[in-house]
Amino acid sequence: MSTYEILRVRVTAKDAETLRALLREARPDVGGRPRQGDDGSFSIEAYVTPEQTAALEREGVSLTTLDEDAAATGRERQAEVGEGDRFAPEDAVPHGLALKVTDA
Amino acid sequence: MSYLNITEVESAVTSLAAVFPTAELIELPEPSVEGRAAHALRIGTAERGANDAVVLIGGVHAREWGSCEILVELAADLLEAHRDGTGLTYGGTSFTSAHVRSILDELDVVVFPLVNPDGRHYSQTVEPMWRKNRNPANSGGDPARIGVDINRNYDFLFDFQTAFHPAAGPRVSTDAGDLVYQGPSPFSEPETRNVRWLLDDFPRTRWFVDVHSYSEDMLTIWGDDDNQSAEPPKNFRNTDFDGKRGLAGDQLYAEYLRQADADDAGVLAEEFCSGLKAVRGRGYTPMTAFHLYPTSGTSHDYAYARHIVDTDKGKIHGFTVEWGKSFHPPWSEMEKIILDVDAGLVAFCLKALTL
Repeated sequence: MSTYEILRVRVTAKDAETLRALLREARPDVGGRPRQGDDGSFSIEAYVTPEQTAALEREGVSLTTLDEDAAATGRERQAEVGEGDRFAPEDAVPHGLALKVTDA
Repeated sequence: MSYLNITEVESAVTSLAAVFPTAELIELPEPSVEGRAAHALRIGTAERGANDAVVLIGGVHAREWGSCEILVELAADLLEAHRDGTGLTYGGTSFTSAHVRSILDELDVVVFPLVNPDGRHYSQTVEPMWRKNRNPANSGGDPARIGVDINRNYDFLFDFQTAFHPAAGPRVSTDAGDLVYQGPSPFSEPETRNVRWLLDDFPRTRWFVDVHSYSEDMLTIWGDDDNQSAEPPKNFRNTDFDGKRGLAGDQLYAEYLRQADADDAGVLAEEFCSGLKAVRGRGYTPMTAFHLYPTSGTSHDYAYARHIVDTDKGKIHGFTVEWGKSFHPPWSEMEKIILDVDAGLVAFCLKALTL
């Protein structure tokens, strides 16, 4: 079981080149893809240890913490993983989540 | 309901194959590094290979748990609706029984929901943020250096240090300690070799979708640079452009893609997003994979590049779905995302039949 802390942060850079340089130099673990703001800024989510945030802080970049401990959130989510084998019984089969509807 | 563990993904696939005569169980040739077998399903009423195929894969990046469920539930929806002669309703998106029948009668739908079982198991039981496979061969005994990023291990521009401009900053690494470690050579990993085998085994594959998270996007090729359709010499095989690729918005290089193929890819991506949006209003964005930084060794670029590298191979339009807004949404939210994405994939298949 992992015990170290991982912050989920949104990294917002004043422009594309600033964000590109940050990603190239700091190489953070990123989630999702870059987004452009209406003001020309670019942002991306990153997963970093508290120590790694220092490497992201620079002129033209702001950090917003979205999750104080993404690893803990993930560990909580592990409780939502099935145990055993729900499809082991001979008649057990996935049914899909869509409604099966007769044509009108 | 809850997320499926790796045993359950496998048993879901095998149980569907056992119950539905329109589903064929396919055993992939290579077990994972930790010895786990992998299976896919072919869904269709015609003989294998009689129709064009759409190949859907998931569970590549370990922490993107819901990708497996998206594909298992899609397979179950199609099989059950076809057997019972019903349509399918995903929120505000509906498909008739004729739609379902046309997909199964006119396509081979090949579903490979769990490409990376070792990584998923590790993510679900130990380190939830784990991304790579669990291959220790290049780790030197350091647990922090275990694993290869499966979606950097295909052969498309694998030698990224030669291919890209020094300032391009591609999201790929030769360092085994990096999250996007490409591995020691193309197809060094059993997981990527299994995907390659699947495409080889279905030579009539025309569409390939790799299901990932996250960002609510539907990505089309290319991932190494901007697209262009005016200058064929600017292509990934042309060494004259080594060291020039990967910069956004520049005049040095953009990757060539035939206009007709770009148009078809755009139409399919739009159709996916339209079908998805009608479920509950989520707005996924169709876009090319290159944005701000390049990638190499990815599945969708590999899938399309195959027919260029080897003219005996058929053309495959490659796509990557990036579902949701986090790696591990609560299951209650994941169920809604499954409905979204599965509606999009059904719409995608129906549109593919018209192209």
